Amino acid sequence: MVGEELAIGGPFLDADGMKALGAALAITVTGLASAWAEKEIGTAAIGAMAENEGLFGKGLILTVIPETIVIFGLVVALLINSA
Amino acid sequence: MRLLERLWGKTPSRKSDKKKKGTSNYAYAVTRVRAMKSKLLPKETYPRLLNMGIDEITRFIQESEYKNDVDELAMKYSGGDLAEHALNRNLALTYDKLLRITSGELNYLITAYLKRYDIWNVKTLLRGKIYNASVEDILESLISAGEFTYTFLSELAAKATYQEVIDALKETDYYPLLQEFDGTNLAYIENELDKAYYSSLFAVIGRPRSKDRKLFARFIKLEVDVKNLSNLFRLKKAGVEKSEEIMPLMIEGGLELNPEKLASLPYEQFIDELRQTHYWDAISSVAGLETASLTIVESRLIRYYLESATTYSHVSPISIVPIMDYIIHKNNEVTNLRIIFRGKEAGLDDTLIKDQLVVI
Repeated sequence: MVGEELAIGGPFLDADGMKALGAALAITVTGLASAWAEKEIGTAAIGAMAENEGLFGKGLILTVIPETIVIFGLVVALLINSA
Repeated sequence: MRLLERLWGKTPSRKSDKKKKGTSNYAYAVTRVRAMKSKLLPKETYPRLLNMGIDEITRFIQESEYKNDVDELAMKYSGGDLAEHALNRNLALTYDKLLRITSGELNYLITAYLKRYDIWNVKTLLRGKIYNASVEDILESLISAGEFTYTFLSELAAKATYQEVIDALKETDYYPLLQEFDGTNLAYIENELDKAYYSSLFAVIGRPRSKDRKLFARFIKLEVDVKNLSNLFRLKKAGVEKSEEIMPLMIEGGLELNPEKLASLPYEQFIDELRQTHYWDAISSVAGLETASLTIVESRLIRYYLESATTYSHVSPISIVPIMDYIIHKNNEVTNLRIIFRGKEAGLDDTLIKDQLVVI
């Protein structure tokens, strides 16, 4: 009955819906992953910087390296949407 | 703020008995400590220091990490005393800093480890009072890196007799042991205090479940072994071979050594037995010789202890080990500098001083 109604109204998610969900997942998961990685590296960089200010440049670069993860996520999300 | 409270506060103990809540935040603590370790004096410094006079060395350490300490104490003291006070103050402040930058279990374990300085201070006070040392002399040797604040310790040092010191320590864990002190059994009390320290440390670790506690336990056990081994060497050299004389001096809970078995052996067999342990590699180049000086054997053992801590800190980079590694290396640096100062002051030969140093 419920199934019949759904079948009449079309699938629960059509192709566009699936695409949107996929893109959202790609961004969410990579965003969380890079946030976690940056937190770990960031605290370590702060620790090193507290002792030696000269490490600011290196610390900054190392801290933003995990940002690539979420950029890949963004790229994948855009590719999914444009396909 | 805690630093100020610690310097000026009057309460003898900080609340650290309860396990602190929160996570340990290893990334922060470990990297910061590694950066601190990179500021320790490199080994090339020591030959240069040996060529200097006392004032030059004081000047040298005034330009290094000890600047603030030397500057602040320069009004009150001079020469070797200045250096001694500055080194002790720096050590105490460094360890205090470690406690400030760590949290959670890490902080809990380090607090337990640093109680050794309370024991050191209690021993120094008792010794000083028995031999009627002046308050200044006693203050020179106190290191307020444990739970007792410098203010509290100076109050204790100003007391007239050892009995008053013991009474003032009534609320500490050491009181029951100290009550047995009658003015003659200092060596016994000192041994018992050390043993009490290690057994309380093992009690804090409990049955190690977390990775951290396992590593920490291994670290402490290695230290116990090194201590037992140097004591065994001293005793064997002095010709003590009776198990019942040696065993009361041994600390329980070592890693690899079995003091009960080693205690009853004569010197040659003792050496043969040591060949089967890991410690042999560290001392093999000197220990086989009957004439080897104990100083060299002991400094080799300490070096082995320091080196293995560094190795393990690379094996477990995100753990308590790098921090313990720093603690013992810092302590070693202060000891080395103190040896140089005191050696120079006493006019010892440079090679003699050099043998005492543990340089890595």
